[in-house]
Formats: sequence, structure tokens, C-alpha cells
Amino acid sequence: MTLAVLAVLVYGAVLADAVRRARGIGAIVAEIGLLGLIFLGFVLTRGIEELLPPAMVCLGGAYAVAVIVHGASVDERAPLVAAGLLLCCELATWSVDERLRVAVERAVVRARAAALATLTGGALTAAALVVAVAAAPAGRGLVWTAAGAASAVLVIAVAIRAGRH
Amino acid sequence: MTRRSSPRLAGYAGLAALALVAGLAAGRVELVALAAPFALAAAIGAAAGREPQLGARLALDRERVLEGDELPLTLELSSPTGASRVDVLALLPAALPTARPNPRAVRLAAGETRTIELPLRCARWGAFSVGPALVRARDALAFHAWEARLGAPAPLRVYPSVETLHALLPPFETQVYVGNQVSRARGEGIEFADVRPWTPGDRIRRINWRATARRGELWVNDQHPERNTDVVLFLDTFAEIEHDGRSTLDLAVRAATSLAHRYLQRKDRVGVVSFGGYLSWLLPASGTRQLYKIVDSLIQMDVVLSFAAKGVDFLPPRSLPPKALVLALTPLLDARSAAAILDLRARGFDLVVVEVSPIPFVDPGKGELADLSYRLWRLARESLRARYERAGVPVVEWRDGVPLNVPLEEVAAFRRYARPARA
Repeated sequence: MTLAVLAVLVYGAVLADAVRRARGIGAIVAEIGLLGLIFLGFVLTRGIEELLPPAMVCLGGAYAVAVIVHGASVDERAPLVAAGLLLCCELATWSVDERLRVAVERAVVRARAAALATLTGGALTAAALVVAVAAAPAGRGLVWTAAGAASAVLVIAVAIRAGRH
Repeated sequence: MTRRSSPRLAGYAGLAALALVAGLAAGRVELVALAAPFALAAAIGAAAGREPQLGARLALDRERVLEGDELPLTLELSSPTGASRVDVLALLPAALPTARPNPRAVRLAAGETRTIELPLRCARWGAFSVGPALVRARDALAFHAWEARLGAPAPLRVYPSVETLHALLPPFETQVYVGNQVSRARGEGIEFADVRPWTPGDRIRRINWRATARRGELWVNDQHPERNTDVVLFLDTFAEIEHDGRSTLDLAVRAATSLAHRYLQRKDRVGVVSFGGYLSWLLPASGTRQLYKIVDSLIQMDVVLSFAAKGVDFLPPRSLPPKALVLALTPLLDARSAAAILDLRARGFDLVVVEVSPIPFVDPGKGELADLSYRLWRLARESLRARYERAGVPVVEWRDGVPLNVPLEEVAAFRRYARPARA
């Protein structure tokens, strides 16, 4: 229960940030986010883990709409939002895992909490690194776009392979 | 071990790809930043898929226990590689509950051997197999799970508890072997029977000198010899009624165990006939070995649904020896066993029916129709009981919670006044 509440709180915080940022189109952003919240609700109450990606797509979409429409400059809080999305996912998954009536010893909980903290810290660092690299005057042009596209293709290929596996 | 990957691994990779494509299309670094954590998590998840080499061993303190006893089940888990989380569930029969949590999740360090003790309460008799253990190991973030059934099942026999019986039913006729039952016949023994005139061959020590002095000729004492008896426990396993973990078959098996134990103590020969979907029997014999054989056969008894017509003819003649006391333990639920009991009576067996009452296990239901059905059912049972009594068979009702001594005493009282009617 605690984990589910934490997941919803993190989701709510990210959504609130997106809505606040969206200003004029706040209602649309909120609606997208609420749709995702419904998905998250199904994940947490029914244990349907497959609905977690759609929930994150909705939340990420809401944030993206807010950023694209009104954000002229780079959002410095993007790494926090990114880490928040992953944290929400992990908390929701953990909550689903604990739905079974299993007596869990403290060492197991501590190990997972530590692993989650490490992952979130790593995620925050990675996202911050991306933002920092983007801010650096490294140049623009076709080569960078091609490199970005190639990395996207690589990640998609990994996603397909992981999905098949 | 069977490996399963979490669906979120593919989901994370998909989310990362989607965010990257969206970032490229929109030209926003924030969306690429959104992709980074998911890509990182997917990469970590893919790298974490190393199988933990788990081993498990189940061990029971003893192989034979009495109903109501407690015994520890020891479960040893080990892994040379370690596992962040191991969910372990020892597969226990419903009759062997444990007060400790099962399943439970533990952490195993590399090379560690963890011992989990589960105290089992043997709530019901039976032959059980404890285990194996269902084990599921996961990595630190539960991206992958490995499942297996580990540990060989441990056999366990739970013997029914034995009730103290103060008196046993004496049969009408005894056998020819020496035992503890005073026979109705006359011969060499301890119990005085009568006096009679001396005949050639009578020993001098048997002369009753008082009677001889009074009558003026030699008179001798007659005694009742001590003989053993043959007892056949006839269990009806065609049908049972169960409620709240207790059933009529439970009671019948407990009663049969107590009776077998007590009769065998008295040097009688005891046999068992399980009359139901599966026919099984043990020929009458005496001794401790026979007691174990009987209890072992009793704890494996179960009600097997069968529509086959069965009668006493299906049993081998040696399973029902002449002059044997047949103690039928039946809930009187199946017409085939009811008919078989009447058949036994018609063949001249010394027969007693202990009706293991199903009434406490039956919910009468609510409503007029249910009430009427219930009353009709009870009426039909009364009618069957009356048929037995007309045939000279003592029928006594035995309910859960009542000591077995009570119905046995009722039968003894009935037999004091009734005499067997030869068919």
C-alpha cells in the first residue's frame, strides 16, 4: 500500500509540474496525465503490469506537450522529471510484486530499496548528462542528427529484441 | 530453472525508443533526457540476467507421528552465486498447517546456506508427501525471475490418535486359540462355569469335594476356557460427509484404530475390510505387526466415487472368518453398504453397526423445502435403522465429540438382552 501511494505521489508531482509549466493548455495536459493515472490505477489495483508503459507514455506525453508548446529554453528540471518517471514505474512494479502474501524479511526490502535508490540516482545522472551535453556547444548539423537517429534505431532494435525475448 | 523476464524490461526499452524518436522529431533535448533513465534501466536489466544456482533440501524430523503432534520441517536453501530475493514456498498438504509464514522471501549471500524451520501441526491422520519447495529467485530490481521445484518430497505418515476404551464388545462365539476372552464353552480355564458328575478322564484336582460329599458320588467343576476372538472392522468408504475439516470417514478411521489397538492388546485377531469404491482388506491376524499393518491401511483409506454394484461376494472368504465379530463403521449414506450389512447378517455373522452419524456435518438449509427434505432424509435413516433392528442387528449412533465408549456400552446393553436370530 505504501509503495502504491508513493508511486501515485511521484506521478502526481510530475504531472503537477507539467500542468504548472503548460499554463494556457494546462487542462489538456492534465487530461492526458489523468488518463495515464487511470492506467496506473489499474496497474496498482489489478496488478496488470502491462499497463505501466501506457501510463508512462501519457505522463511523458503530457510533459512533452507542456515543454514543446511553451518551453522556448531547455527545461532544467527535465532530469528530475525523467528520474521521477522511472521511480514511479519502479515503485508501481514493486507494489505489484508485493501483492502476493509473502513474508518478506527486512534484508530483502533493504536490498531492493538500495537498488532502487542506486537506479534512480543513476537515472538522474544520465538524464542530467544528456541535458548538460545538449547545452555544450558541440555543434549542430546533419552528422549529429544522423547519430541521434542511429542511436534511436539502436534502442528500438534493443526494445524489439527484449520484447521477443 | 525456468527463467521469466519482467514485461517492463521490454516496456522500458520501448519507452526509451519512443522518447528518443519524439526528441529527434521535436528537436527537444528534454525528451531525450526522458529516454535516458529508461534506456539505462533496460541496459541494467539486460545485464542482470545471470542465473542464481539455487539448491534446496527438505528434511523432516521423523517419518511417523501421531495425530496432533508437531514436528519441524527443515528447509535448507543455498546458492554459490547468491540471490537478492528468493521466494520459497514449501508445498504442504492441507492437513499439515504451519504457524510460521509460508511462503517467505529471503536474501541469500554468495555461498550462504539458509535454514528455515517450519513447525508442522499434524491436524489429521493420513499418508502425506511434504514438499517439494517452489522457489523463485529474482535479481535486485526484479527484472528477471528464475523458478524451479527443488528438494525431494519427504514422506510422512500421521497415525490417528487412539481413544482409551474401557470395555470392548465381547463376541457371541470365540475361536479355538488361547486368548483373554472368557468363552461360553466349557473346558479348562479359570472362570467357574458349573458342576457335573465325574466322568473317566477327569483330573482329580477338578473334583468339587463339597458337592461330592453332599451327593455321595464324585462331582467335578467345569470352567470357561479363555479364548481369543476374530474381529473384523468393516469400514464403509462409499461416501462421506465433510464439514469444517472433519468428516465421517475421519471419525470412522479413528474409531477403527482405537478398536484395533484395544482388541490386539487383548490377543485377539483383527482384520479390516474397506468396503467402497476401492475394495481392500486385511486378513485377521494378531500382534503388533498387524496393528501397524492395519493403521497403515487405514490412513490410506479414501472415499472413491464409484457407481459399480458391489456386494459381500466380492470379498475373499478368509477376510470374513466364521464366528467373527463384525464391527461395521458406516455413515449409512450409501445403499450398497446398507445392503451389504444386511447380507452379512443373513450369513449369520455376529454383527454390530456403529453408525458414524453424518447429522452434525449436514447443514439443514433454510426454507420450507429444505426443511422438508432434511426431515425426509432423517426419516429414511430412521427407517433403515429399524430394518437393521428387525433383523437383530444392534445399531448405535455415534456422533462427533462423544467418546467411543458410549456407543460400545449401548451395544453391550442391547446384546445383554437380545440373542442372535439364526437366519
